[in-house]
Amino acid sequence: MSTSPSEPLTVAALYFDGHSARAWPATLSLDGDALLLAAEGLSRRAPLANLRLSEPMGAAPRLITFEDGAHAEVRDHAALARLLGATGQRDRLTVRSAFDLRMVAGALALLVVVLWGAARYGLQWAAEIAAPRVPEAVVAGLSRQTLELIDEHMLTPSRLSEDEQSRLRGVLADRTTLPHALVFRHGGEVGANAFALPDGTLVVTDELVALAGDDERVMAVLMHELGHVELRHGMRMLLQGSAVALFMTWYAGDVSSVIAMAPTALIQSGYSRDMEREADDYAAAALRAQGRSPALLADMLQRLSESAGRGRKNGAGWLDSHPDSAQRIERLRGRA
Amino acid sequence: MNNPFENTPPSAPADPFASPFAVDTAPRSEALVFSGRGGEYFGIWIVNLLLTVLTLGIYSAWAKVRRLQYFHRHTTLGGAAFDYHGDPRAILKGRVIGFLLLLGYNISFEVSPLLGMLVLGLLAAVMPLLLMRSLRFRALNTSWRGLRFGFDGDPKGAYRAFLMWPLLSLFTLYLLAPMWHQRMKRYQLDNARFGATRFRFTAPVSAFYRMYGVLLLLLLLGMAVIGGMVLLMIEAVEGRRELAVLVPMAVLAGWVALFLLIQPYLTARLQNLVWNSTRLGAHRFESHARARTLYAITLTNLIAIVCTLGFFAPFAAIRTARYRIESVTLVSAGPLDDFVAGQKQAVSATGEETADIFDVDIAL
Repeated sequence: MSTSPSEPLTVAALYFDGHSARAWPATLSLDGDALLLAAEGLSRRAPLANLRLSEPMGAAPRLITFEDGAHAEVRDHAALARLLGATGQRDRLTVRSAFDLRMVAGALALLVVVLWGAARYGLQWAAEIAAPRVPEAVVAGLSRQTLELIDEHMLTPSRLSEDEQSRLRGVLADRTTLPHALVFRHGGEVGANAFALPDGTLVVTDELVALAGDDERVMAVLMHELGHVELRHGMRMLLQGSAVALFMTWYAGDVSSVIAMAPTALIQSGYSRDMEREADDYAAAALRAQGRSPALLADMLQRLSESAGRGRKNGAGWLDSHPDSAQRIERLRGRA
Repeated sequence: MNNPFENTPPSAPADPFASPFAVDTAPRSEALVFSGRGGEYFGIWIVNLLLTVLTLGIYSAWAKVRRLQYFHRHTTLGGAAFDYHGDPRAILKGRVIGFLLLLGYNISFEVSPLLGMLVLGLLAAVMPLLLMRSLRFRALNTSWRGLRFGFDGDPKGAYRAFLMWPLLSLFTLYLLAPMWHQRMKRYQLDNARFGATRFRFTAPVSAFYRMYGVLLLLLLLGMAVIGGMVLLMIEAVEGRRELAVLVPMAVLAGWVALFLLIQPYLTARLQNLVWNSTRLGAHRFESHARARTLYAITLTNLIAIVCTLGFFAPFAAIRTARYRIESVTLVSAGPLDDFVAGQKQAVSATGEETADIFDVDIAL
């Protein structure tokens, strides 16, 4: 337990006084609780507690900074380690962990677990809490922009007569008290499809109306879409997507923004399965409250998947964003 | 005995031959040396990433300081390393302000276009000042041999470099963009100093036009090559439909390879242009980074990063930094010991962080 070694420990350093760029070759040694610096024509002594020692970073020099801004640069790491050993100093955990292989491996594993947990649970939870707090004006603005984008690139004006359109609007208005706006478009390539925007705008394609054959089945699909609106699924997906985008931009930002965007697009590709089930449940409850059977929605799902089977031209769209249709049909029939 | 500091005044006559740096009076070259290693930096990077994720981004300010310290301290010139002194709390404050500005900017356009334009105008008015402060923060928190760098640019110059010239170049369909770039670099470097010694920037506007002109020619040449290859391929796959899918893939690969050229080309050429025409007092710099080497580094980095889901990123950062740093040499006209300190100033990090989040990288 000897605290004072027989041979005095010295460490070579370059000393800079903070007033000029002059390098003073110096030696450092311990003097009780103080550090002693000696250079040609200069010496200073400072209590260890008043000195700042930069963290070890591989071969990079370590800097010992005095209170007045002067510092000593040490490149002899082995000698400095012996000197520090004599003082009983230890580095902070964040510093040690960055240079210890086991610690790095542990950090890597922990990072993977945390990211998985955040993606699986944390993100959904945060989006669920944040979605109702988004200002109405923002929701309306986003929905308007989305519809403009869709009109520009995917859909064309509806070919249904004005009478037919207002008749369906009237039917829907009798079925729900939620604020909504029902609009019609011609699907073309998109085929039979219906979707909801976060502000309650419901878009239905002519092809879906034709595939349904009667109003009741159209209403069943619209109840499902209203479920997405009421439960704020669209806003939640958007928030989750934005959070992922923000993280990816920050993570891969210096590589390429294109690479940063790819996973975001994948994650934003549609509602989650849980959300679809929730919207189905909402529709089933609404249909029963109206004295109608949830089997109507199951029926529509069946028709959509059959028409999808006949070819991609009609009906594939709605199912693309609505996976597991067989399971869902069974589930809805069970509620009938 | 009560005074813990037993200072002998540095004015005491010292033997000039005691210092290894005191004897050189003839011009001599001091190369910048970078000693960072990928495996080592990976440790810092992964711990930074983990803590940043766990603290929902708050640790990113501390992470930034550790990252910059790693790169600064591994950069050696004339036997001494650089250092970075930024205060993480100041950087965090800047990041919060930057995040709020970005949020306000994005939301205002959703609410109404008029409000959006108003916020955009406000940002345009504030941005030059933020960039000016960012330059000051970065300079004052960088040191070498115990002396801080500094930046003395004024708001008037900032509005010219970061608002007037971008607008002028926009209104002339970017014909004035090279001139804007030269004015920006001139503002950055003519106002920079090391201790009390000023930097001087002498690159003429014509050099910037030449740099962009060559880039434009390279891009046109690349497009012609891609076009020619496509024609050859179409002829080759004629009649074999299963091979036809290769053509669009080849075009895409060609475009990606071509557009990935822009950034390394500009980085290498700009670095050479700036440092070869910058003086620090009587000293000058030489930079001989090669665009094709940097292009090869960037391309291989990108492939490795994609293949490792991003985990090659710290190694890539080290490779790029090593090449860029070690391309620069200081040609000293006299002893490096002769620099003296300027006055010390406190500075806020807000500007730098805001500039970062708005993706305006104006690093020297």
